Amino acid sequence: MPAVHNRVLSAAELDAFGNELDALRARHLATLGDADARYIRRVVAGVRWTGVAGRALLFLGAFVHSVLIPAWIAGVVLLALSKILENMELAHNVIHGQYDWMGDPQLQGSTYEWDIVGTADNWRKTHNFRHHTYTNVRGLDDDIGYGLLRIFPEQRWRPFYLTQPVVAVVFALLFEWGIAIQDLRLGRWFAGKITFRQLLAQARPVGRKMGRQMFKDYLLFPALAGPFFLPVLLGNVVANVIRNVWTYVVIFCGHFTADAETFPKECVRDESRGHWYLRQLRGSSNIAGGKAMNVMTGNLSHQIEHHFFPDVPANRYAAIAVEVKEICARYGQHYNTGSLPKQFGQVMWRIVRHAFPSRPARVKPLVTAEQGA
Amino acid sequence: MSALPRPAARRSSLSPRHWVSEELFDFWAGRVHPLWTLRRARARLVSRNAASADAVTLVLRPNRHFRGVAPGQHVNLGVEVDGRRLSRSYSPTLLDDGCLAITVKQVAGGKVSQHLAQHAQVGEVFELGQAFGEMTLAATPAARVLLLAAGSGITPMRALVRQMETAGMPVQVDLVYWAQQREAVCFADELADIAARHPGFRVHLALTRDQTAPAARVGDYDFSALGDLSSAQVMACGPGGFVDAANTRLQGRVATLQSEAFTPPVLPDAETGTVRVELRRSGRTLELPRGTSLLQALETEGLRPASGCRMGICNTCVCGKASGVTRHTLTGEYAAEPATQVKLCVNSASTDLILEL
Repeated sequence: MPAVHNRVLSAAELDAFGNELDALRARHLATLGDADARYIRRVVAGVRWTGVAGRALLFLGAFVHSVLIPAWIAGVVLLALSKILENMELAHNVIHGQYDWMGDPQLQGSTYEWDIVGTADNWRKTHNFRHHTYTNVRGLDDDIGYGLLRIFPEQRWRPFYLTQPVVAVVFALLFEWGIAIQDLRLGRWFAGKITFRQLLAQARPVGRKMGRQMFKDYLLFPALAGPFFLPVLLGNVVANVIRNVWTYVVIFCGHFTADAETFPKECVRDESRGHWYLRQLRGSSNIAGGKAMNVMTGNLSHQIEHHFFPDVPANRYAAIAVEVKEICARYGQHYNTGSLPKQFGQVMWRIVRHAFPSRPARVKPLVTAEQGA
Repeated sequence: MSALPRPAARRSSLSPRHWVSEELFDFWAGRVHPLWTLRRARARLVSRNAASADAVTLVLRPNRHFRGVAPGQHVNLGVEVDGRRLSRSYSPTLLDDGCLAITVKQVAGGKVSQHLAQHAQVGEVFELGQAFGEMTLAATPAARVLLLAAGSGITPMRALVRQMETAGMPVQVDLVYWAQQREAVCFADELADIAARHPGFRVHLALTRDQTAPAARVGDYDFSALGDLSSAQVMACGPGGFVDAANTRLQGRVATLQSEAFTPPVLPDAETGTVRVELRRSGRTLELPRGTSLLQALETEGLRPASGCRMGICNTCVCGKASGVTRHTLTGEYAAEPATQVKLCVNSASTDLILEL
């Protein structure tokens, strides 16, 4: 693991660090306006138009056999693009409440529902609350390996993890299904802590949502093509899988790169705001790239900024990042960023390496001892 | 044309509203016609005219989801200003062609009134809430009617006067209308015309800053000139102070008294003491302390609203605020805008609040 130098902060420095980030947040919230509203509405329009164009091309290919292959490929790409844009730049950000300030009931974080098999309600709980509050805290953030993978040496090794290079690939292909059942915490049923009946009752809303999504993508639209349903059905399957793999890659790059850290439960007890910010920084990693990368990742290319300010509109992260980098440099904190191949290469190495037994390195404290909890 | 709002329509299970996502439908329908939506009532600005020196009358065409309005009622209009949808109440007059006329008085520093009075272009689309308010005339009118209006409080009265005129002015109607000076009086010609046609209708202008003879405010107004009011149905609309004074003055001396007050939010002098917080969905009203986060204050009262991080980042505790002023516990900033979202864990109540909880 490459050695990263992070200065150990004193309690006073940690407070100042937190105050600077709070001030940065306030500066951006104070200037929200027309331009931000126009941005998210352009994203909505992008989702709708790419979606309809993708579906139209799939039908074109199904009915006009001379253009089947080019139309099918273009249709799949556009439909996947639409779903990626919807899930990442629109839904993920809207569900965080980033655009609540607009007062538009259709862009409200507490009610928005997205184009994916998981329910937005589950996501609000597992992601907005647990993952964002307890980022990379072992035992509290279920996103660490999703109960399926051993990403960090601090997770206890079991022989099952020897299979994880294969499991990780299957998980990527089916990622939306993994997200959908994350809040069911099937482990509790395996362990006999809840009955099958209780599990079913909990699963009802997500079951309904899965049914609706499958009906739309795998029944309704293929059926509209009548006898030529097959290319439409396959197109929908492939578009959904492309979306799954892409979201998996982006999300794994966010917290599982080589320098990303995990934390013990004790560190969130009576946690100060500055400490919370520092933990978000140490547990997150960015993906370097231009505007296209920002849009396609739903601005999770700015995972650090997103974790500092999950409810600030994501279209501001690129500008915020300039200041965050400068603040991190002044406080001697490593700003974890790199190209997509570099970051995902580190993720893949972790998945392979920690399939085998491994021992955690000695951890340096985040703050000096007198900080105390 | 019915005077009363119609109830929400019941629709068959084949109606698209049961199987189409509202966002999807509204997006594509909106490309075809700006007023087409699945459920939401919206209205389009079709014309605008000056109503007085500082007021403008806007004529709005609502879509089919708007269920109508009775004279004297109010509607909330959602107007987008600098990316934010801001909601304000207006008392519309229902025109013969189904359009709504609202009269907006420009308020210094008022984002919505200035936008509507100066910048709103014909064709602009607004969100429209369903009508609300109890200040309506009974099917069988009282022996006589007395309407008291101050400033913008004239708008529901205008609608009520027009309703009585359509009914042939069956009872004696007196309108006392307070304004600072003549230039600020709205509907002067229209009211004078109706008075000329109907001897049963009288308008009494009370100009409080008139140069020659300033009129008395409602507390000192000489109602004796209007004759015996003991059988009168009285309606009053204006700023909070005006309505309070009218109530004190006339309570018990008239048959019935209904009032509607509009008061711009006023920031508190101190962040101590308690305020009244109405929880609209559960129908409870609580006394909660200022300076304590709403989440903590509600939990102290034994309530368990949804919550998560308790530090303002996860958005789990977010809740609609219909009215009132809240204060951010970390930044100290005040939020006075009605019909917005508030995170309970990092906001405290500064004034009386109405929450969608």
